[in-house]
Amino acid sequence: MNIIETRDISFSYNTKKVLTNVSLFLKQGEFLGIIGPNGAGKSTILRLICGILKPKHGIITISGHETRGIERKQLAKKIAFVPQETHFALNFTIEEIVMMGRFPYLRAFQRENKIDYEARDHALAYTDIQEFRKRPINSLSSGERQRVVLARALAQEPAILILDEPTSHLDLHHQFAIMELLKKLNKEGMSIITVNHDLNLASLYCERLVLLHQGKVFEQGSPKDLITEKIMKQVYQTEVKVIRHPHKDVPHILLNPKGE
Amino acid sequence: MSKYILISLVFLVAVFLSIIIGPAELTTDILQLRISRVILGVFAGGILAFCGGILQGLFGNPLVEPYTLGSASGAALGGSVGMLLFGTISPLFAFLGALGVGFFVFTIARIEGGLLRDRLILAGVVMSFLCSSLVMVIMVLGGRELYEILYLLMGYLGVVITSANRAMIIAMIVVSGILLIYLYRYYRELDIISQGMETAAGLGIDIQKLSVIIFLTTALLIGITVSIVGAIGFVGLIVPHISKLIFGPKHLKNLPGSFLLGATFLLLADTIARVITVYELPVGVVTSLVGVPFFIYLYRKK
Repeated sequence: MNIIETRDISFSYNTKKVLTNVSLFLKQGEFLGIIGPNGAGKSTILRLICGILKPKHGIITISGHETRGIERKQLAKKIAFVPQETHFALNFTIEEIVMMGRFPYLRAFQRENKIDYEARDHALAYTDIQEFRKRPINSLSSGERQRVVLARALAQEPAILILDEPTSHLDLHHQFAIMELLKKLNKEGMSIITVNHDLNLASLYCERLVLLHQGKVFEQGSPKDLITEKIMKQVYQTEVKVIRHPHKDVPHILLNPKGE
Repeated sequence: MSKYILISLVFLVAVFLSIIIGPAELTTDILQLRISRVILGVFAGGILAFCGGILQGLFGNPLVEPYTLGSASGAALGGSVGMLLFGTISPLFAFLGALGVGFFVFTIARIEGGLLRDRLILAGVVMSFLCSSLVMVIMVLGGRELYEILYLLMGYLGVVITSANRAMIIAMIVVSGILLIYLYRYYRELDIISQGMETAAGLGIDIQKLSVIIFLTTALLIGITVSIVGAIGFVGLIVPHISKLIFGPKHLKNLPGSFLLGATFLLLADTIARVITVYELPVGVVTSLVGVPFFIYLYRKK
């Protein structure tokens, strides 16, 4: 069953057309990667699916219901969004920030109840940041902060997790840790869409990929189908060598420096 | 909780000081005047600081407040237009002035997908100048005295509450109280907005709707305040920062803290304004003397 479907989505910022007739789907329990060059419209499609932006044309459905008709807070109980970068203008503690994930469940002046505390503690434990829980956010490294943002998203108890380049500013250790966490979540039933610039990470972790190019779906399919020397040349204008990963049956991209 | 008790004690000391300190001897008449000052000081200081805290939260900009956004001066301009037409400063006209200038400032600062932080302040300060000049012109045209203009532009808590205006002032205080509670409802939204608009939207906050609500409600509050005590600057700038230092980043706690500290700060400023020279200075003189260095400090820090 498709938990998310977009049909013929078009979107433009003022006069600049960003997406043209984008149709894609996410199956229940699937780990989908959206890839494509800079400016292909990857972040925009994520924002449209989360309801942060409204499409000019086309329909987005979640479990068969049009998102347009769903109240914002109700949608936030089903879909959690992890933005590319989070600024922390105020120095909240980690547990305060993770508790903010409970916002869709709380009315004004309503105190957090036992369920909210449990969801928060579960999210803290799952992302392995319990030891920091009382610390202010500005005392953490960017890798640790990304875990906090992920924990806040998990506290929303969503069915779908949407991430915009979750590993872009992280070192190797934190990249790996975040991707492994996502894999574990996915194994336990979470449906995931992630935008990834690192094609090798996308190839390793995503079951299926959608390749966006100039605001359109260029191709979709398994990493094996999409990550080929021919398509990389067509879309990224870059000569690459694609090999098979030594331990997994997925493609791996190697760059060829010029003149050697 | 103990922090609230401590700050409440400081507040009570400020109330006590502003009642006993002054050039004149404390007779029954003087006592009545001073009590009416205290009421207006608590009202205005609390509202300005609370609105400053809300606006700083919404814009994620530590320099934003009713005065630096131009809406306080806009309210003074609206009020003076009302005075020219009907002979009295009505809160309605002040509200419209605050709204008009606020809207204009946002239009200047607006870029695709957001607001330019520095441009917001620059536009606000420039509009504030323009409004002050226009207020002078209008008040002089209306045959008003210079001191009235000064009090409107720089704030004055000495409006005497008499039987003639008592009902009106009580009504404005009640309405303001309701509006404050209405704004206070959004404490969680403001916490979340500090982590960026995308995060907020992703958690289900309708930023546009919230901005409109805050924009209109604060303009109403500023209109009401300015129509009674004039445009007092920098209370809304300084106090929310101090409140966050004491009560932490959660708006649930620091917004009421801002109200209490704003009231305290304005009462103390007013006491100083009354006794520092033989003439009574507008209270805005004192708040600016403290506020401008603070503004520069914040500006350099960020």
